[in-house]
Amino acid sequence: MDEVLKGNFTTKHKVEVQTAKAPSLEERFEMEALKKLGGSMAFVSKKKVMWDLKGKE
Amino acid sequence: MTNKTAPGALGHEIVANMVKITRARIGALGLQNARRSLSLIRQGKSIVELTQQQIGEGDTALVIAAGPSIKRRNPGPAIAESGYAGAVIVPDGGIRYCLTNHIVPDLIVTADPHETRIVRWFGDPELTMERLAADDYYRRQDMDSAFADELRVNDEMLELLDKYGSRLKIALCSSASPAVVKRVHEAGLDIYWWNPMYDDPDQADSATRRLFEENGLPCVNAGGNVGSACWMLAAEVLRKAHVAVSGMDFSYYADTPYYNTQYYHEAVALAGVDNLDSIYVKIFNPHEGAWFYTDPAYLWYRDCLLDMAGEAECRTYNCTEGGIFFGGNVEYTPLARFLLDIAGARG
Repeated sequence: MDEVLKGNFTTKHKVEVQTAKAPSLEERFEMEALKKLGGSMAFVSKKKVMWDLKGKE
Repeated sequence: MTNKTAPGALGHEIVANMVKITRARIGALGLQNARRSLSLIRQGKSIVELTQQQIGEGDTALVIAAGPSIKRRNPGPAIAESGYAGAVIVPDGGIRYCLTNHIVPDLIVTADPHETRIVRWFGDPELTMERLAADDYYRRQDMDSAFADELRVNDEMLELLDKYGSRLKIALCSSASPAVVKRVHEAGLDIYWWNPMYDDPDQADSATRRLFEENGLPCVNAGGNVGSACWMLAAEVLRKAHVAVSGMDFSYYADTPYYNTQYYHEAVALAGVDNLDSIYVKIFNPHEGAWFYTDPAYLWYRDCLLDMAGEAECRTYNCTEGGIFFGGNVEYTPLARFLLDIAGARG
C-alpha cells in the first residue's frame, strides 16, 4: 500500500505518531475480570442531588 | 497490577481503582437503558414530586436493605410489631422480605442496570429453568436462601407484586433494564424517575450533565449501590432528619464460604481459587465483638456511604447489628432503640 499512497510534500518538522501500545492478552483478560468486580452504580465524592443545571444541590 | 498475595492486599488495590472499574462495568449499559426509557420518562413523573408528598410520618426513615444480617437477625417482626410509622425505604432486593413480614414499604428503589438479574426481585414473567441453569448468581449467595427454590419464589414474587403493586411507590432509576421498567409498569407501581450520577456533573464533558439535558431528571449520587441510594433518597430527597439502616452489612459473616459470596466467580477469574484470601478483606466489628469479611465492591460501598453520611445534615443510625458499617459519624444503634427512642414507635 505504501507503494500506492505517497504524499506529495515533505513536512518541515518530523512528525511522530504516537500509537498507544496495545494491551497484552493478559492485560485485557485482567481488565475484563476487574470490570466484573465493579460496583452496581457510580459514586461521586462530595455530591448529593443535582436538581437542575444551575448546580443547586 | 502486581501480583499481591497477602491477605486482602489485592482487595485493597481493587478498591483504590473502583471508580474506574465501576464506570467500565456499568456506565455504557446504564446510559443505554436511559435512552431506551426516554419516551416513558417524558410521560412519567420524577422524584421531584416525592418532595411534595409526606412519605411516612414524621422525620424518620428506616432503610431495610438486604444484607446477610436480615436473615441472621430477622428484624422484620420487630419492625412490623413496633408500630413504627416513619418512612420505610427498601431496595429492590428487600421487597420480598418486607412484604412477607407484613411491612409495606413507603418507597422502593431500584438502580442496578443488569439486564436479567434485577427483574427477579419483582418477579420475572420470562424466567425459565434454562435461564436459571445459566446463571447461579442468586443460588450461590447468602442473601435470601429461599431463592434456592427459585421458580417457586419467582411465582410468589409475581403474585406479591400483582397484589401490592398499586400500593407501592418506586424510585425508578433511568439506568434500570427494560425488563424492570416493563415489569414495574405492568404491576401498576407508582413510578418516580431519577438519574444516577455517573461522574461529577460540574466537570467539562460530564456524562451526567448530558444525561440531565436529555431527560431532565434529577441526578442522584447513588453511592455505588442501591442500598446507599435508598439512604441518599431518604436524606436528600425526602429530607428526613433521622435515617436508620438495617441489613446494611457491606460484608459477609465469617462462617460464609467464599463460594456463597456475590463476586465469587469473578474473584476466582482474577486471582485464582488458591489466592482468594488476597481479594477478601477481614474486618473486626468491635460493637459485635466479631469478625466479618468483605469483597472490594462492598468495602468500597461502605467507604462511600461513610463519606456520604459525613457530608449529610441528617443523623445516620446503623441498626444492622452486624457487618462493617461503623465509624465516622454513623451511630451504631440497636434497632429497638431506634424504633422506640428515636422514632417514638409505641407498638
